[in-house]
Amino acid sequence: MRRRGGIAIAFVAIVAAALASTAGAGSSAAAQIQAIKCDSTLKIAVLTPYTGPAAFLGQDQGSWANLAAKNVGKALGLKVQIVAADSTLDPAVAATAAQKVIADSQVIGVVGPATSGAAAGVSPAFFAAKLAAVTGSASNTRLTKIVGGKPKTATAAFFRVIADDSLQGSVDAKYMLNTLKVKKVAVLDAQEPYSEGLADIVEGFLKAKGVAVQRFSVTNSTTDYSAIVNKIDKDTDVAFTPFQIAANAQAVAVALREQGKKAVVFGTDGTIAPEFKFPGSYASVFAPDLTLDPSKKALVDQWKKDNPGRTFSAFGPTSYGATEVILRAAKKACIDGKGTITRQDVLRRIKSVKIKDWILCGSFAWSTKTNDPLYGAYWLFKIQPDGQNKQIAKLS
Amino acid sequence: MTGLATLLDVLPLAAVDLDRLFQTIVNSATLGSIYALIALGYTMVYGILKLLNFAHGDVFMIGAYIGLGVLHVFGGATTPIISIWLVILLMVLAAMVGCAVVGVTIERFAYRPLRTAPRIAPLISALGVSFFLQYSMQLLFGAQHRTYDTFLMDGGRLFESVIAWGPLDVSLLRLIVIVGTAVLMVGLWMVVSRTRMGKAMRATAVDRDAAAMMGIDVDRVIVFTFILGSALAGAGGVLFAMRSDIYPQMGFIVGLAGFIAAVIGGIGSIPGAMLGGYLLGLVESVTQTYITTQWSNLVIFAVLIIFMLVRPQGLLGRPEIKKV
Repeated sequence: MRRRGGIAIAFVAIVAAALASTAGAGSSAAAQIQAIKCDSTLKIAVLTPYTGPAAFLGQDQGSWANLAAKNVGKALGLKVQIVAADSTLDPAVAATAAQKVIADSQVIGVVGPATSGAAAGVSPAFFAAKLAAVTGSASNTRLTKIVGGKPKTATAAFFRVIADDSLQGSVDAKYMLNTLKVKKVAVLDAQEPYSEGLADIVEGFLKAKGVAVQRFSVTNSTTDYSAIVNKIDKDTDVAFTPFQIAANAQAVAVALREQGKKAVVFGTDGTIAPEFKFPGSYASVFAPDLTLDPSKKALVDQWKKDNPGRTFSAFGPTSYGATEVILRAAKKACIDGKGTITRQDVLRRIKSVKIKDWILCGSFAWSTKTNDPLYGAYWLFKIQPDGQNKQIAKLS
Repeated sequence: MTGLATLLDVLPLAAVDLDRLFQTIVNSATLGSIYALIALGYTMVYGILKLLNFAHGDVFMIGAYIGLGVLHVFGGATTPIISIWLVILLMVLAAMVGCAVVGVTIERFAYRPLRTAPRIAPLISALGVSFFLQYSMQLLFGAQHRTYDTFLMDGGRLFESVIAWGPLDVSLLRLIVIVGTAVLMVGLWMVVSRTRMGKAMRATAVDRDAAAMMGIDVDRVIVFTFILGSALAGAGGVLFAMRSDIYPQMGFIVGLAGFIAAVIGGIGSIPGAMLGGYLLGLVESVTQTYITTQWSNLVIFAVLIIFMLVRPQGLLGRPEIKKV
């Protein structure tokens, strides 16, 4: 009798769990097909690290998305609310945050995910929910392109407004080879898709040109780079550091100097932040310095007014662009749908968006082949003796 | 001798990069010094209260921020208004005082009310305090990483001045960390072994109830332990940040290393914490330099697991005896 009772309880528990999971799926399914009135408040989620070691990403991307919601939303006559979805730097946390976003029926699009690992992880869920995710920073090539016969890691619901790593890796390596005349390079990766992808491209390119390459792999949580720098040969010309945390590139530069090694640190978009300020170092990034562009002065001033006392990295303005793309797609859908839209309507119109006055200068249009921008470029910065970045070249 | 000769024959010594080997020794000593300072805080609190104070790493983080504040007050790394050496000393002292206050506050409000509660309760409270401190600092100072810019201090001499120490070349900055830590540890040893309060601490660690019956003010001893441990963490925070960056979550990673060092040394044992810190620094540096950088954490934790299986009480810890 007792055994039967136990079985019954277990059965009820299983049924309850199944019902609970079905209820979740049901609410997600309902959210994706639910019509949203265009005169209601439309939500855009920003899926980015708001906490953890890369929390500066959340502050930058969230604040610029807010500015876009205010400016572009007002210009298009839409009421917009930015919703923060914290992915930390952990794809598993990003997956949980993505489910919350999907369950909110007022969310019409996602700015992000911020990192390539999270983008690959959550893309199938967004695709199933017919929810467009437009990133301003996840640049791993395989997210949108087949590379070496390997399939894409993101779905058709994933878009990005910046050039990908294949361009960055090759233009960075060309610059090292042709301008810095390197003979030996140390390539460090941070054991995550963005970093490994870029490191692979640069390593492959340089080796093919006869440059000696030492490859190292470290974690994002490394606090002391002395041991790694100890392994870098004294005659190494460049230490390539495609990290997501700028301070880690700074730590490499400082450790190199401390150990009397001549290698110059060459970082990428993740390292273009005030914390990376070792004079003579380089960093390439997918966005130009907006403060150098007189046509963007009003926008930059507006951001500074909204965020007093703070500075922003290259990750911020691209999220303004991503937010603008979603809002313009939503506006088109609103016009076509006569005042109501669904997530799918927005998703379908993302690639029809063209923007004349693009935040990253020039105009914006999509590639017809992939979910990437038609015109991509990278900008190279060199750190000056006062620790400030100076834009020195456009790499394309 | 024959064995050693055979070993030397087998090892391709000509191929050993002596510069790299000596740098590894210096790296180990620097890293180990910091781990040892943090481990001391964990081990002292555990010795007295049998509490794993998981907020200890975050006190270390607050010390680093206090140091940064003092540095800014005195003009920053490049334009200090007084001698940079005096600034560094003030940074360490301010961090020690500030962290002592933080430590006492944590003890008073988060641990003392739970002293008679089941052991899981203060443990959870410690985790809560850890997150509270991390996110409070993030709210107050932002999430971005900051540095002391020590490479700019004194015209870069802190990094570039190298002191020959036998076969080792040690930068001035590393020497500050290694010697500064050693001075603090000797100071702690003197307090614990030569003062009345130190004797009271040792008595309380052996048996808290018996110590109370002997007239020792146990509350006062506990507060003093938190003052000592937190002050050391504060100094450690400044010394660590001289060579690394500062951010609200920094205490978690370094604190974890300090905790492991305390466990390796035998949690509750002060010399054990020191030994554990240096040993962990050595294992980490050697692993990253000679074995793998990619899998260094895997190797380090595998070593830890094997070590714990062989000697669960740690190097200098005593096996727990259950009285029946």
